[in-house]
Amino acid sequence: MSAYGILVDVTKCTGCEKCVEACTTVKKEDPKKVDTDRYNAKDGLSGRKRISILPVAEGRFARKSCLHCDEPNCAAACLVGALKKDEKTGAVLYDPKKCIGCRYCMLACTFHIPRYEWEKALPYVVKCDMCVDRQAKGDKPACVEACKYNALTFGLREDLLRKAKETISKPGSKYVQRVWGETEVGGTSLLYISDVDLSALDWPSPTTPSASKLAMPVVKATPVIGATVITSLLGINWIIKRRMKLMGGEAEEGAASDDAISHED
Amino acid sequence: MTRRMQILKDILWILAIWGLVAGVLRMKMGLGATTNLSDAMPWGMWKIFNMLAGAALSTSGFMLGIIVYVFHRKQFKSLVRPAIFIAVFGYGSSLFALLFDIGLPHLFWHPVFMWNLHSFLFEVFWCVSMYFSIAALESLPVILQDRFPSIGRVIHGAVFFLVVIGATLSTLHHSSLGSLFLLTPQRLHPLWFSPMIPAQFLTSAIGGGLLFLIFVRLAYAWLHDPGLSPNAPFPTRVCCVADEKPESEKIPELPALSKLAVIAAVFLSIYLVLKVVDLIQSGSWRYLGKGDLYSWLYLIEITMAVIAPLGIVAVGAARRSKAGLTVAGLLGSLGLALNRLDVGIFGFFQDAGKIYMPSLLEWSLSLGIVAAAGIVYLFFAEHLRLFDETSEAPVITLKTIFQPPSQSWRATMGPVGARRISLIFVIMLPLAFVSLGASSGDSEGDVVKPPIALDQTRAVLKIDGDRRDVATIFEHVKHQRRLGDKQSCQVCHHIAKPDDQTTSCWQCHTKMNAKSDAFNHEKHMSWVAEEKKLDGFYPENRSCVFCHDPAGPKSAETAKSCLECHKDDMAIVKDWAYATEPDVDIRYPIPYRDAMHGLCIKCHAAKQVELGKTGMDECAHCHQQGAYVPAADEPVDVEPQVEENEAVEGSDTDSGDNP
Repeated sequence: MSAYGILVDVTKCTGCEKCVEACTTVKKEDPKKVDTDRYNAKDGLSGRKRISILPVAEGRFARKSCLHCDEPNCAAACLVGALKKDEKTGAVLYDPKKCIGCRYCMLACTFHIPRYEWEKALPYVVKCDMCVDRQAKGDKPACVEACKYNALTFGLREDLLRKAKETISKPGSKYVQRVWGETEVGGTSLLYISDVDLSALDWPSPTTPSASKLAMPVVKATPVIGATVITSLLGINWIIKRRMKLMGGEAEEGAASDDAISHED
Repeated sequence: MTRRMQILKDILWILAIWGLVAGVLRMKMGLGATTNLSDAMPWGMWKIFNMLAGAALSTSGFMLGIIVYVFHRKQFKSLVRPAIFIAVFGYGSSLFALLFDIGLPHLFWHPVFMWNLHSFLFEVFWCVSMYFSIAALESLPVILQDRFPSIGRVIHGAVFFLVVIGATLSTLHHSSLGSLFLLTPQRLHPLWFSPMIPAQFLTSAIGGGLLFLIFVRLAYAWLHDPGLSPNAPFPTRVCCVADEKPESEKIPELPALSKLAVIAAVFLSIYLVLKVVDLIQSGSWRYLGKGDLYSWLYLIEITMAVIAPLGIVAVGAARRSKAGLTVAGLLGSLGLALNRLDVGIFGFFQDAGKIYMPSLLEWSLSLGIVAAAGIVYLFFAEHLRLFDETSEAPVITLKTIFQPPSQSWRATMGPVGARRISLIFVIMLPLAFVSLGASSGDSEGDVVKPPIALDQTRAVLKIDGDRRDVATIFEHVKHQRRLGDKQSCQVCHHIAKPDDQTTSCWQCHTKMNAKSDAFNHEKHMSWVAEEKKLDGFYPENRSCVFCHDPAGPKSAETAKSCLECHKDDMAIVKDWAYATEPDVDIRYPIPYRDAMHGLCIKCHAAKQVELGKTGMDECAHCHQQGAYVPAADEPVDVEPQVEENEAVEGSDTDSGDNP
């Protein structure tokens, strides 16, 4: 898949939150309100704030935003298909025209990303869309453009992955030998490299498959289960009726049929 | 009508009207203003209690259909009607509650046209709404009462197929309601998360739903028990004489009910096996011994939903007695509801890092919808003789509905009911006002708090530099004493401006990123040396051995922790509502750096305007390329202080040393 992604180098992030500022500007949110949102939730994300900076260790910061999973739980959860992985850009996109506000995506996301505009009377879900509108014009996402310290790199996911692996495998590098986002929950478009552990960002272990993939057999089994139930009920009915006929139980059955609910016999 | 019934109906009416108020408020003001839902707990009472538990308790509708029309067990026939009406009103109220729960209620029809076949919720939506329609169709002949014989005949003819399709849809959506949580393996508490959760939901719903039917049947008999009626108040007795025909103490369906309990027990046993196998397989049985909220909830839930009913059913005498069946039915239904609450609400507390308690409005709407369903159910039960098919069913016409000969309508509407109505209103009004009041206070999120709060004596300041509601305690009085009492004000308050323009903490407490930074060894030693100053406070703080282990080398490792002396003054302030850092190391005040960060940046931003410079509030002004981790012996960065002092000379000083 030739989708785009963002590589986050945690060692380069100073935690200055210029990316948050840029995101706020691009998405035309009220910067004052966005700024106070950091106190309202543990991870700072909100119905106005699509990206936040979290301290992950002493002197180390990392961005938290939608990771744009390759097998997104939110897209599997949404009953109207308002969330979809865009094959071209790699972004997981939200279509407010379809959403009915059931908030299952918020419950299903492994990383606690989708947020809700709770204070509005007709609220919608809010999350990072990797600035697909800017991408269409050939620009980088606003956060990447705003980062002065090269902590964020935008590019094709394959290239980024290669670059990340080169960086961490340089002799004498202090990086943890792991690219977060390479395989976790089936891979994500955002990749992280770091010299400290990033479990503060809800990362599961690298071998964790995505829940949506695990649940797929259950989804596929649904019509089979339905057909099995119907056939077994019809079969049981046929067997029992036949047995009753043989045993002469029909008269008993006929007596009950003049009730309000009854069956055709 | 008996007195019990009258009281129950009054309570139901109060709840229903209260719920109506809540419903109007919810539609007017939106979800955020009226509920306690949050990003961390996006699903609350309306979804979990009304939908999940409500649907689970309504399974008797399709189960009785299977038992009677597929297995041809005629002795259960008299229970089909109450069961189908439980399904109709159970599902009806659930769907109605969902209408309030979704954020955009006017778009509830979207799933009809916009499909995502991979979504469990999509399947639930379709199966539930289709099953609701089928249950409604099944109940139609009872309601129509042979008034439209053609419709009745068509449904009579199709009832077997309706039952089969309904049973299929029910099997699918009850397991899918469980599958909803297959997507949350990292978030749901391991005691409840299980790959087998669809099967667990299906079996527990069938077992619990049958027990609920048993309970409803017996409770209705109890409510109608004429034993108490001679003592009933005057109005109810007069109007309801016709209803109080000498009903026999015995309930004709009792044998059928106890057989039903056995069927329920079979399903509950399967459920129990699934639960136990899952606990062992996933290894989550270890959480049971923890003794925390979750283990207790789990044990209570399992005992109520499964073990108690199974125990009652296992004893023959209890199984055949009215009391035994009632208790089994009640515990089984409550346990089932608790299970759904555990899975949908309590099981997410750990992940959310906070407790979700439904708001008053959530409670009132939730209970109001249930109460409304109960009222309509009772209305049908009385007018259509749901529980008493053998007797001559009265033909209902519009006339009988509005001028019933003997039913509650006249009791409520007639002159004798006036007192009752006024009582309901007297109870309702304050409740409505409370609901209004509870829903209007939504301004919490927009308040920006000052970074410094003081207690009344100004002995302690709480500095919350970055306003995260985690404050550093600043012992103002103690600082004052250590620095030389009244004469020492200028040490910090050298710019004596309004607001918090004092010397920042870091100017004395140097190594601001080091964990032990709050501790300044030199200062502690000098205080030990100058005993005079400490005599009044800590006379024991005099020698190295007071802190350090005399045997070992004198290092930080051999010293006692700060907290051993500073018990009171180093506790983290938690009274600013939102202070939940789970792994706070209590040995040093964690928000210390954040407090200073907030102060620095604020001051820098102000100063760069004053000095006509730019970039002073940029991160890189203090933080060099890469993250800022100061070296161990890095000297105090005096540059900002110099700028500050320059500014002081130019600016006016309105004296006074207000902390």
